Amino acid sequence: EFIQQNEERDGVRFTWNALPASRLEGTRLVVPVACLFTPLKERPDLPPVQYDPVVSNRSPNCLLNPFCQVDFHAKTWTCPLSHQRNALPSQYRGISEQQQPAEILPQFTTLEYTLQRGSTAPLVFLIVLDTCMEEDDLQAAKESLQMALSLLPQNAMIGLITFGRVVQLHELGCEGISKSYVFKGTKEVMQKQIQDLLGLARGSQPQQQQGGQGNPVTQQPSHISGTNRFLQPVQMCDMSLTDLLSELQCDPWPVPVGKRPLRAAGAAMSLAIGLLESTFPNTGARIMLFIGGPCTQGPGIVVDNELKNPIRSYLSIEKGDARYIKKATKFYDSLASRAAESGHIVDIFSCALDQNGLYEMKSLCSKTGGHLVMGDSFNTSLFKQSFQRVFSKDSKGDFRMAFNATLEVKTSRELKVIGAVGPCISMKKNNGSVSDTEIGVGGTSMWKMCGLDPSTTVAFFFEVANQHSAPVPQGHRGIIQFVLSYQHPSGQRRIRVTTVSRNFVDSSTPQHIHASFDQEAAAVILARMAMIKAEADDGPDVLRWLDRSLIRLCQKVGEYLKDDPSSFRLSEAFSLFPQFVFHLRRSQFLQTFNNSPDESAYYKNKLLLEDVTTCLVMIQPILYSYSFNGPPEPVLLDSSSIQPDKILLMDSFFHILIFHGETIASWRSQGFHNQPDHENFRQLLQAPMDDAQEILRNRFPMSRYIDCDQGDSQSRFLLSKVNPSQTHNNMYGWGQDAGAPVLTDDVSLQVFMEHLKKLAVSSSS
Amino acid sequence: MSGFSRMELHQHQFLESFDLLQKRHIVPPFPSKTENAEFEGKQSIDPELFCCTLNAFPETQSLLDKSRLPLGIHLHPFKELSEEELPVVHSGVILRCRSCRAYLNPFVHFLDRRRWRCNVCFRVNETHEDIDCEISGGHFVPKSKRTELRRAAIEYIAPSEYMLRPPQPTVLFFVLDVSSSALESGYVSAVCKCLKETLSSLPGGSRTLVGILAFNSALHFFNIKSSLSQPQMMVVSDLEDFFLPSPEGLLVNLKESREQVESLLEQLPSIYDKAKSPFDPKCALGPAIQAAFKLVAPSGGRITVFQCGLPNCGAGELKARETTADLSSKVKDVLHLDAATDFYKQLALDCSAQQVAVDVFLLSSAYADLASTSCVSKFSSGCVYHYPKFPDFNKFKADFRRYLTRSLGFEAVLRIRCTRGISLHTFHGHFFVRSTDLLSLPNVNPDHSFSMQLAIEESLKDVPSVCLQSALLYTNVQGERRIRIFTLCLPVANRLSDLYNSANQHAIISLLSKMGVDRSLASSVGDAREALITALLDILRGYHQTQPNSQRSLQLIMPTCLSLLALRVQALLKHKAFRLSGGVPVDHRVFAMILLKCLSVQDLSRFIYPSMYALHELSEENIIPLRSGAEYSLPTLQLSAEKVSREGAYLIDDGQTLTTWIGKDISADFCVDIMGKESFPLLPEASVGFPDLDNPRSKAVRDFVRQLQNKRNGHTPSVIVIREDSRLKSLFTQHLVDDRTESAMSYYEFLVHIQKELNK
Ligand SMILES: [Zn+2]
Ligand SMILES: [Zn+2]
Repeated sequence: EFIQQNEERDGVRFTWNALPASRLEGTRLVVPVACLFTPLKERPDLPPVQYDPVVSNRSPNCLLNPFCQVDFHAKTWTCPLSHQRNALPSQYRGISEQQQPAEILPQFTTLEYTLQRGSTAPLVFLIVLDTCMEEDDLQAAKESLQMALSLLPQNAMIGLITFGRVVQLHELGCEGISKSYVFKGTKEVMQKQIQDLLGLARGSQPQQQQGGQGNPVTQQPSHISGTNRFLQPVQMCDMSLTDLLSELQCDPWPVPVGKRPLRAAGAAMSLAIGLLESTFPNTGARIMLFIGGPCTQGPGIVVDNELKNPIRSYLSIEKGDARYIKKATKFYDSLASRAAESGHIVDIFSCALDQNGLYEMKSLCSKTGGHLVMGDSFNTSLFKQSFQRVFSKDSKGDFRMAFNATLEVKTSRELKVIGAVGPCISMKKNNGSVSDTEIGVGGTSMWKMCGLDPSTTVAFFFEVANQHSAPVPQGHRGIIQFVLSYQHPSGQRRIRVTTVSRNFVDSSTPQHIHASFDQEAAAVILARMAMIKAEADDGPDVLRWLDRSLIRLCQKVGEYLKDDPSSFRLSEAFSLFPQFVFHLRRSQFLQTFNNSPDESAYYKNKLLLEDVTTCLVMIQPILYSYSFNGPPEPVLLDSSSIQPDKILLMDSFFHILIFHGETIASWRSQGFHNQPDHENFRQLLQAPMDDAQEILRNRFPMSRYIDCDQGDSQSRFLLSKVNPSQTHNNMYGWGQDAGAPVLTDDVSLQVFMEHLKKLAVSSSS
Repeated sequence: MSGFSRMELHQHQFLESFDLLQKRHIVPPFPSKTENAEFEGKQSIDPELFCCTLNAFPETQSLLDKSRLPLGIHLHPFKELSEEELPVVHSGVILRCRSCRAYLNPFVHFLDRRRWRCNVCFRVNETHEDIDCEISGGHFVPKSKRTELRRAAIEYIAPSEYMLRPPQPTVLFFVLDVSSSALESGYVSAVCKCLKETLSSLPGGSRTLVGILAFNSALHFFNIKSSLSQPQMMVVSDLEDFFLPSPEGLLVNLKESREQVESLLEQLPSIYDKAKSPFDPKCALGPAIQAAFKLVAPSGGRITVFQCGLPNCGAGELKARETTADLSSKVKDVLHLDAATDFYKQLALDCSAQQVAVDVFLLSSAYADLASTSCVSKFSSGCVYHYPKFPDFNKFKADFRRYLTRSLGFEAVLRIRCTRGISLHTFHGHFFVRSTDLLSLPNVNPDHSFSMQLAIEESLKDVPSVCLQSALLYTNVQGERRIRIFTLCLPVANRLSDLYNSANQHAIISLLSKMGVDRSLASSVGDAREALITALLDILRGYHQTQPNSQRSLQLIMPTCLSLLALRVQALLKHKAFRLSGGVPVDHRVFAMILLKCLSVQDLSRFIYPSMYALHELSEENIIPLRSGAEYSLPTLQLSAEKVSREGAYLIDDGQTLTTWIGKDISADFCVDIMGKESFPLLPEASVGFPDLDNPRSKAVRDFVRQLQNKRNGHTPSVIVIREDSRLKSLFTQHLVDDRTESAMSYYEFLVHIQKELNK
């Protein structure tokens, strides 16, 4: 409950909720001290604070918070991080024990300030649309864009780039003849060309737009006159953009037989990113790429246009046959860095039956916090609804998106920050609490997050600064303050500060630390670490690392007699952890079998974004069973749960699957549910569908919905997830109705556990 | 046959000689239309279509050399002709010589009903069909109604073996300069207006393709595909690495995309409104033509380029070469007449290879290096127009309208066949020489004229007559492949005096001026001037030899048929193209030279020595009845102030402009009737055109002007009216070339000078 409360209040979940007294103690815990932090967790209950936060004048310049000691008499406060005394500013003169400002009340460890200075910046949306598509697909994409247009606030700035063989930057808001600037698809669009286009290079003085006076964020010449031609407020170009979209046709260049269309996605993205760099640096903006196939020419080429050369697979990557992969990845990485530096988000909506090159392009999203949506066609509800959800609004009527944020982590002196894993880049700032080691994006105490939404979750890793010889005394509090400064969709600049504290525990009472273990958070942390490792190492190495970590943890926290596997016990705090790891090992995150590089990239991207609960679903899907025997119940993700007279509903986040047992399937195929006397069967069939709809309602991106029967090829999605407790190798030992065997050579959870116990208790390891 | 007897037919007009110094006022009041004489009783070709500098062909080169007369032919192959003037033969089989491929013509000799001797190579050919002949004077004379045996100008509809590919559609592509200096002039709206008004009368019917491209520092393409609700503009600013922004819609069928084309023409002026456009002084002419070429190349066709300044960016970039020093009145010689770069020539050759011609309208008073850019037309058979006094649109609009609606021929080749022993050696005009007798003309238009110089390689002693035959194979705007045949047959002369007496002075001065242009480009304008004087002196000396009672001291004696030669040479020396004084801007000079090279003999005569008319004498009495209706006729006057009275109003027509001068003491009646003003002091200092007033005299003046304008090929002269005391009066007085100027002799002084030179 403590864990849950903390998550509710602060959006923070630590692997260990008590802190080890020294660095060595920490290392011995195997799972590092880390937290998953959801900086923008929806908190409709927070009071609106319309003033600027009080900041201490010494590094790390922490903000006034409930952990501070306030001397109401002397009007001073003592910072719990640096232990410095600060005078309260003059407007706090009236403060007393009866009259306390929100920021020092214990329930407001998380508080949001709306800054008063500075002007509001408009939201900027730049659409980058592939036109090498089938008529239907393009039509669907256009309709979705029209829909989005109607959802945008009138003052939002919008721009349009289309591409196929060439790249077109469209001038908006012109009457009559539509005008576009055309770039060759085989070349990167250089900054100089864009500057020429915007009239920047001709020496004409950039003019400030009215109303943009003294915005500290946009001191650069962001609103130059030239901008207006390509990025226009919705209210100015609504009509012309609608006309433009309706007139937009599929790429007109003929595609010879045996060729792929020439698609200049790389050049288009270089133009999009360059354009925003020149016009709205350091202002929140979304670049939304809609791509219907792989980039086949110019910078960022993923596959050439010869159909006889298939796009790279894991196999060809392994063999070193993927000739474009390095260059393309490097190209998109550098674009991603540029976009991120400017505070711009890149979303990719990728729809095609084959791969589109997400593997190469993924950093565009992962560095900028952009959405990555993958579907078969733009003409599917998966895309349409996912896209619509980008523009969903919260209870206050604001978009669920935040822009151009910085997140600073300040710690009390016993703690140092090692790094962050999530949609962020380093801002290369060191406030004195930065560790020498790195996990993820490290070496800094401040990160830039171009795009985030209420579920965006970053993993932060910490270490205890104290050496073993001088451990932190028992009862000491470690305090971490997260300061998020972001552009709210309303245009306001806001600061959300979250201050958390955890107690240090002496090494003499390790059970206190063990009891504070959050196995769910730990599983997700481990998964993210594995993702980072997978970037650098081979798959088998990552699995070995994962196994070793689990074994070492079990050695450390398990109760057992040496060399007696049967004596092995884990306390409740760790009971599920091996199972999480078991499923993680088998998951699409670590297994490339049956997945394309693009699919993997897509899955990994999501794992690095979501909160603990969601990530856990991705790692270990949830399974519900429906039968006549009672209400639906959660069942083990195990082949034994597959029963002929039951319907299963599996949620693996990416897939929602309804699986009809043999008997049910045969009844259904005979149409019993349509007969009035089998109303209860109809209801049974209906129940999981209703529940699936309920799950899908808020899911982003939309999960792939699969309806299958036992024996269908589609059922493989279920069979690859369940623990193969019965396989063709061991089924003879089981009764007839004890479940369905799974055709796999994978070890079952049971076998896995046996091994684990054996290794954990072994005195030799 | 003796040379003399061959000449009998020509003697009647030219036998008298003529002392130039005695008779200075020699401009004939009504230019008599020269005719190529009948030959062996058969109608010769109209000399306006095809003529030779000599109406009797010298037997040998040495005879020609002795005469010092220039030998050449002038050809106006695509002049607009009526069906009566140019019969069209539909018959399937085209009879040609099996050896030299010359076309059957009225001047061949029939040996019998089935056999004819080619008059080019003298091979005897057989026909499959009987040619109905009668025997007359020992010859077979065909009685056949076959048009090719009766007419020297004829057009065939070519059967399929004359096509390398299906005939191309009419392709018209327009390239507009929209750099800042171009927008300054406001010409875009004039172009769009003209184009929009003439859309229905553009040649080519339902097959016509059109496209428009604009350029400044970038290329602006227009997608005008019929399925679009609005034209789309696509800007390409990457000139380094050129590409087309769309595979379709940039060159469209006019009929299908009519709505889009009209919409585009309506909107272009506001898109390129100078107030709304950002300042862009760059002019990417080269890339723009390259882009247009890329679009037109697959079919072939015509590219019309509007240039308003010096091309200063992208491929074909040029530097301003002309300096103010070049414009001062004291220059030793004229610089920058040559092309600064090969780029435009190379581009023209590429165009020519793909049957694309490029026409250039230069609308600029500032230096634009026409010498370089005009190469794109010169070698692609294109036309060049120059409007330095912008924004006076009147002439431009009239010319452009005519340009848009005139007939056109595509993917043409012009071959000249000459009787064995004669060779062509120098060509004048706009074309690409594909082989010794074959010119490649991607476009041929009614205003195209060509000249060729001839040499006699073998003696023509045993040759009964000389035959020169031009064959123009082209695709007309209806998509028919056609062959236009002109045949000129000339007697052979072996006596010097016969050569002089057969001289066509208009053709000679025309050829001399073209040779002068070549000399200017190859050497210098100074050399060209000297060469012109030398040519005159040589001819005078040569003719002197033929005089029976030749005296020691040479007189300025010329045959009547060469009486105007000295006057014209004198005028040429004062002409914009060749004068050294007076600071002629180099673009103006280059344009004048282009006209000298391309104008037909008739237009060129007027361009060198304009016609002056006493406008105040125009009345109902000057009407002369003609077959085609009535026409006003006024005597032409010598270009001298002596002929100009203050009580009169005079119009000078140089083919480019009709400049009217009104004297101070003009009658009030004239002011009222013609200008609509009470008296001279109320007249505007200068005005364009005559007001449309409701009285017979006003109507007569306007009719007369229209009549002069209609006679032109290609250029529609604009009308300028100036008062005697106007600051612009030099526009009129500059044409009075008989008179002396600060730096040049009068005609009389010139003659005295020539005589002195002769007797040195
Ligand atoms: Zn502090
Ligand atoms: Zn022959």
